[in-house]
Amino acid sequence: MRKRRILLVDDEASITRALAMYLTENGDCEVCVENKGSRALAAARSFKPDLIFLDIVMPDADGGALAAEIQTDPVLKGTPIVFLTALVSRRETGGATMTIGGYPFLAKPVHPETVLASIAEHARERA
Amino acid sequence: MTAAVAASIMWPEALIDQEILAGGLALIPALLLAHYRGWRIVTVLLGVGLVALVVMHLSPMMLGVSLRGPFLILFVVAPYISIALGAGWFGEVRKYQAELRATQLQLIQSEKLDSIGRMAAGVAHEVKNPLMMILTGIKVLAKRVPVTDEQTRLLLQDMEDAVERADRIIGGLLNYSRDRDLDLVSADLNDTIERSAMLVKHDLENAHITLVSTLEPGLPKLQLDEFKMQQVFVNLVTNAIHAIERDGEIRVTTSLEQMTRDSLVGVRKSERFSIGERAVVVRIEDSGPGIPEEYLQKIFDPFFSTKPTGRGTGLGLSVSQQIVEMHGGTIEVGNRDTGGARVTVTLKLGKGEAAS
Repeated sequence: MRKRRILLVDDEASITRALAMYLTENGDCEVCVENKGSRALAAARSFKPDLIFLDIVMPDADGGALAAEIQTDPVLKGTPIVFLTALVSRRETGGATMTIGGYPFLAKPVHPETVLASIAEHARERA
Repeated sequence: MTAAVAASIMWPEALIDQEILAGGLALIPALLLAHYRGWRIVTVLLGVGLVALVVMHLSPMMLGVSLRGPFLILFVVAPYISIALGAGWFGEVRKYQAELRATQLQLIQSEKLDSIGRMAAGVAHEVKNPLMMILTGIKVLAKRVPVTDEQTRLLLQDMEDAVERADRIIGGLLNYSRDRDLDLVSADLNDTIERSAMLVKHDLENAHITLVSTLEPGLPKLQLDEFKMQQVFVNLVTNAIHAIERDGEIRVTTSLEQMTRDSLVGVRKSERFSIGERAVVVRIEDSGPGIPEEYLQKIFDPFFSTKPTGRGTGLGLSVSQQIVEMHGGTIEVGNRDTGGARVTVTLKLGKGEAAS
C-alpha cells in the first residue's frame, strides 16, 4: 500500500517542521507543509493529499473559509480535513467525536501519536 | 413578667398610675420594635425593664419601701430605652458594614476574574502553539533516543510533563474567558453526581479512598448544564482526594431542604435564596485534615492552591464557584466539627417548585 499523503497547513513553521519529521519517521506518511494560508489551496491542488491538517487562525487566511473552498474545489472535493486549533483546549473536546463546522478537530498541543491515530481514522484510502 | 402584667389588668385600681402607664407605653412599642427587628438581646433587656417597672410599682407591697417617685420611673425608663435601642441599631450597623465589606471583596474578586478571562483569551492561543512545537519535538527526540539511554529518556519525560502542566493551566484559564452561557436541560442532580463519581473512580481506587453516596431519591429535576456541573463535582471530589492523600472516606449527600435564617449565612446566599425557599443541597465531606482557618478567606481566589507544585492549578474551586453561581446557586467551604472539610453546594429549584 502506498504512503498516505498528508498536507500540514499551519503558519507556525516550527510546528509543521517537527510534526512533518515525526510523521515521516514514525508513520507511513508522505508529508507536505504549507505555512502560508493563502497558498494552501494551490498546495493542496498540486499535492493531492489524502488528508489535510488545517490550522484555523492564520494571519493571512481563515481555516474555516479555506475548508469551504476545498470542499467546493473540483479537484479537492471530498478531501478529508481535520482542524488543528489552539482555540479550544483538549479537555473541552471531550473525545474525537466533536467537530467544528462539521469537521473533526484536534486541540493544540496535540500529541503526535494522536495525529497518527487521526490519520488512520480519517485519511482517504486510495488503491 | 406575664404574671405582673396579668395582675395589672386584673387589679387596675391597685396598679395603674400615671408613671407606670407612661413608662409602659414607652417600653412596649420599643419591645415590639426590637422583637420585629430580631434583636434578641435587646428584646430581653426591654422585657426585663418592663418587669422592673412593675416591681417598682409594687415595691411598697413587696419590699415595704416605695421605689416610686413622680419622675423616677420616667428617668429610669427613658435612658434604658435609649441604651437598649441604641445597642440594637449599633449591632445592625455593624452587620451592614460587614456585609458591605463582603460585597466589596466580591466585586474585587469578580473584577479579578474578568481580567484573568480577558488575558487568558489573548494569551492562550499564543502559548498553545509553542507548547505544541515543544511537545512534538520531544516526541521526535524520544523516538530517536536509544532505549538504553535512560537519563535522556527521563529528561524528555520531564519535559513532556512540563508541557502537560502548562497546558492544564492554560485550559483552566480559558474556562474564565468563554462559555459563560449555560446549556441548560432539565436534569436529575443525583445522576449527574453518579456520573461524576465514575470519572474519579480510578483516582479513588488508587488512593484507597471510599466514596459513600447518600442521595435523596425523588429530588425535583433541576435546570443544569450537566457537563459543567459534572466538572464541579469532579473538581470537588478530586480536591477531597488530594486532601486525604491516602486511606479515607468521602461522603456525598444530596437533600431537599428549606432555607432558614440560620442557613442563609453570607451575602451571596442571602441574595440568592430567601427564608422558606426550598433548594437542593449537596454536601461533600472528607476525612482529610481540614482547611486552616487563614486559608478559608482566599480559598476561591484564582491560583490559590495548597497543593504541591504541579498537582493543582489553583483554579478548580474558582471555576467551580463560577459555574455554581451561573446556575444561581452558592458554594461554601468550611471545616466539620469532627474534622475534615465540607463543601456545600446549594442549588435553586425550577420556578414553581421552590415555594414550600
